Amino acid sequence: MAVEDVLRLLTTNPVYRDRVVHTHILESETPHYGTLDTSLPDSITSYLDQHGIRLYTHQCDAINRIRAGKNVILTTPTASGKTLAFNIPVFTALNSDPDARALYLYPTKALSNDQLGTLEEMAHYTGISAKPAIYDGDTTQSRRAAIRDNSRIIISNPYEIHHVLSWHMKWRLLFANLRYIVIDEAHRYRGVFGSHIAMLIRRLSRLCLHYGSRPQFILSTATLANPVEFSCRLTGHQFELVDGNGSPHGRKHFVLYNPFYDGVGERSAHEETKDLLVSCVKNDLQTLCFTGSRKMAELVTLWAREDARRSSAQLADAICAYRAGYLPEDRRAIEAHLKDGAMKGVVSTNALELGIDIGSLDAVIISGYPGTMMSTWQQAGRAGRKGDVSLALLVAQANPLDQYFMNHPEQFFSRSNEHAIVDTENPYILSGHLLCAAAELPLREDKDRVFFGDSFPQLLPELASTDLVRKTARGWVYSGRGRAAELVSLGGIPGETFRIMCHGKMLETMDRAQAYREAHNGAILLHQGEMFLVKEMDLETHTVRVTEADVDYYTQPLKEVNLTVIEMIETREVNGVKCAFGVVEVTEQYTGYKIKRGDTILGIEPLTLPPLTFRTKAFWLIPSSDTEQNVLKRDLDFAGGLHGAEHALISLMPLHVMCDRWDIGGLSSAAYGENREPVIFVYDGYEGGIGLAEKAYEILNDLFATAHALVRDCRCDEGCPSCIYSPKCGNDNQPLDKIATVLILNDLCKEPEKSDSAGYVDAGGAVLS
Amino acid sequence: MTATHAPTRIGDLWHQRMQTLKEYEVVRDGNIFGAGFSNSVVFSSEYEQARQQLDHLLSSYQNRSFEKVFSGKEISNDCGTCFSLTTTHPIHPPAFDLTYYRNTIIRDLTLVRGIGRETEKQLRARGYQTLYDLAGHPKYRSHVQPVIDCTSREDSYDIIDLVGKRHAKSHPLVLGAAGLHEHEDYVFLDIETMGLFSRPIILFGIGVMKNRALDVHQYLLSDIDEEQAALYETISHLSGGRKALVTFNGKAFDLPYINDRLGYYGMNIPAITRIPHFDVLHFSRRRWRNQFPSLRLTALEREILHIYREDDIPGQMVPEFYETYLRTGNCGPLVPIVEHNRQDILSLALLFFHLMGESYGC
Repeated sequence: MAVEDVLRLLTTNPVYRDRVVHTHILESETPHYGTLDTSLPDSITSYLDQHGIRLYTHQCDAINRIRAGKNVILTTPTASGKTLAFNIPVFTALNSDPDARALYLYPTKALSNDQLGTLEEMAHYTGISAKPAIYDGDTTQSRRAAIRDNSRIIISNPYEIHHVLSWHMKWRLLFANLRYIVIDEAHRYRGVFGSHIAMLIRRLSRLCLHYGSRPQFILSTATLANPVEFSCRLTGHQFELVDGNGSPHGRKHFVLYNPFYDGVGERSAHEETKDLLVSCVKNDLQTLCFTGSRKMAELVTLWAREDARRSSAQLADAICAYRAGYLPEDRRAIEAHLKDGAMKGVVSTNALELGIDIGSLDAVIISGYPGTMMSTWQQAGRAGRKGDVSLALLVAQANPLDQYFMNHPEQFFSRSNEHAIVDTENPYILSGHLLCAAAELPLREDKDRVFFGDSFPQLLPELASTDLVRKTARGWVYSGRGRAAELVSLGGIPGETFRIMCHGKMLETMDRAQAYREAHNGAILLHQGEMFLVKEMDLETHTVRVTEADVDYYTQPLKEVNLTVIEMIETREVNGVKCAFGVVEVTEQYTGYKIKRGDTILGIEPLTLPPLTFRTKAFWLIPSSDTEQNVLKRDLDFAGGLHGAEHALISLMPLHVMCDRWDIGGLSSAAYGENREPVIFVYDGYEGGIGLAEKAYEILNDLFATAHALVRDCRCDEGCPSCIYSPKCGNDNQPLDKIATVLILNDLCKEPEKSDSAGYVDAGGAVLS
Repeated sequence: MTATHAPTRIGDLWHQRMQTLKEYEVVRDGNIFGAGFSNSVVFSSEYEQARQQLDHLLSSYQNRSFEKVFSGKEISNDCGTCFSLTTTHPIHPPAFDLTYYRNTIIRDLTLVRGIGRETEKQLRARGYQTLYDLAGHPKYRSHVQPVIDCTSREDSYDIIDLVGKRHAKSHPLVLGAAGLHEHEDYVFLDIETMGLFSRPIILFGIGVMKNRALDVHQYLLSDIDEEQAALYETISHLSGGRKALVTFNGKAFDLPYINDRLGYYGMNIPAITRIPHFDVLHFSRRRWRNQFPSLRLTALEREILHIYREDDIPGQMVPEFYETYLRTGNCGPLVPIVEHNRQDILSLALLFFHLMGESYGC
């Protein structure tokens, strides 16, 4: 058996042996079938019979709860039959109530198309008149009215719904009779985007209520730590969780592979990936390899083919790259060759983890942790077909998250720690959707609190002051000049946008903060893994001009951060350490940038950019004076310890709160504010805050413990990129003191030995004023 | 969890963002490509002139109260109060040859399902001249009866529906159905809004014939609060009797917009659905397509009616004029809006009667 051969190679080959730090076996499972509380309509039963489908436990559980009127969130893995679990109750409802309708929301067009096919087939087979149809930007004008009036299952996406809601008169039939809102892939709606979608769903619910329906919600997500909380935040309703997977799967060997096991790493993670890929392919395993960027996908492919050519030209030709830019016919050829077995190894970027249509393979190699455990498991889920044994390999990079998992495999294979965040209180996001809502129906300060929260009326006078809304006897009426839905883009926090232009073509847009950070004059900008040199940043026209660059250096901006506490919302004590959560005002001033090759500084250039000021939410902690004494008496650098602890906390935030470390900022000081107290701040890098620091504040114990373990267990002596060095540090990782960091983090994780509860000093009050 | 105090920047932020949204484009003069009947183009000379006019209005109407500038009255109804202006304009509609219309319609055999131009020719050759002759035809007998019933009932709504299904919606027989109405039945309608949908209607213009003159009633919002009362007044004009609606592009714009606003306020007035509606834009397109570079109302009134407006503002700029009024309280910017709308109603009525006279005059 080929998988066993590769496993044997991994344990016997002296190079591989050292790097395989953990092998976890996920045992095969036989199917578990469930029973339904009430029988299904005959047409659906015969549909299932004819397709030879017997319902698994989790499918029955979901169907039973949905039919009992509950909002349900399903978190079982891909290919476990989630779609059927929500299609059955939807069709059952359409069958018994000829007016009933359902709305399916998908994040991408490809997914909408797949679902349309499934629904059409089911409607055809059962004879239930669902008339499923996609209604999105591609729907022709001539078909729109008929779909609105006749289709009882409408498939759409959030962008379309955002623009459709103000036309609610035309959608009366849907809104008056909407029984189910199905939101598939709901985990995509997290962070800033998720916060927008949460508001959009509230606007949708508000219109349903206006026309007399109260639809039930059915959500599906990948594995999360907080599915029930997440779905409640996203929709504003209570949910029941269905998570026990009854579908069968084969045995899977999951290998954690650490090129940096010795703290050095002779070769790059990408070269190691190439070796593993060639070994898999040589052993006749069809293998899918995921890399962090398009360029890496190309390079790994190139190297792997060169390597394989030494064995045989045929083997070399059986390895190829698969990426977004390829023509459909090229993709189809690759897919066909995978099916007929001619293609053995395919290298792709993380971005394609869902869009790729190549079914399941024998082995998956994940080169570098893709940012979330959720994505990791989705990628690993590509390995294993028809109950066969399969292999998944995670190749670690030299960064704190990857290295944390390598040193703590039990964390990786335990249940998810990742919380998906949706913030319904960011005033910038909320106010935009209030404008849209006021353009849909007059906003009522009393009645609309259920949708927009108790404090939304406070925002209205602010919007009225610039004539965007007008107070009338019927409520607040939108009176802005442009279409409200056009003002609000679901992607970001409203603000200025900078356009990144390369030879007159726009590469991407960025907000001001990101542009200052990544696209200042002279910066080497990474866009989809490609390098560009910034020629000019025009602050007047918000345009950044770049050209392609092929250089062996990178740039790192230097900035000074100032932070003022505006309001302390909550305080708590964690292991005797004073912690707080509140609103802060952050001022970031970019002063220059370093040009670096590896760790060598080639030069430092000054920058003159105006300071950036924004209000956001933060948590902060004040290490005890015992900790300070403890560090100082050993003649260690306290400020360096605080700084290291700040970096460690930020680097492990994504382990607990689904985000990118770039979404978060930090500040530490050994003597902050009037009281000259030591402090570490961690804040959301977005105007108004997006709930990251807020969630972290709830789970500080876990965050402290993992950050401590990360630094303690790192094999380096003085700190390294795998523990306390930060790639985004504005102070160029100065000062840092690893031993002091461990001492400080250690004190954050354990109850103080003698309880010196001299009373809690109001930290926020102290630094205020 | 308490919310963040809204920084004062939020209102400004959205306001700035709104400035970047333009619902029309300023193009250089003489660029008539695509300007045909596009609502999204303003010529740069018009634009510049309107901007200057706005400044001029703001200075000359400073400190003049709404009531002083507009000689109208406040009216109250079930939905609140609004401001109403009425003017009277002598107008001479042409006489309508109803017999000719009736004869044309009963001689159109293609109104019957299954009969096209070719079949009609063959039927005529075989002596079937009118719908009544077909009543005895073995094949078409069953299809012709509903057509005869419809035409003899002379309900314009049904006739428009019938003709519109068999011919184009701009067919002269559709226009001719207007001849089944008294002059007093016509309701000429034109609205001015804050933009393209989902925003308030700020002026409702209604024209009705009375004693051989056109009375123009205008309901102008002195504040957004008055929109519902003005909607209510407008709908009252459209209900009762045998009213017939006449608009310019009202099928695509004015009527759905009004229904949209009724829905927005959840007003308990049934949305306007069953009213015969004559959209003069459609008839104008059929009549003058390819003859004039533009089929906008202002262009047609110049070409056909020889009316030349002074101090008019482009319709697309109404929102920013009204917004200026809301922001400053200075009602100067409203003056050209009211004038513009009044002239639109007047030209609409004249153009409608012109087309009627051409087709069915006597």
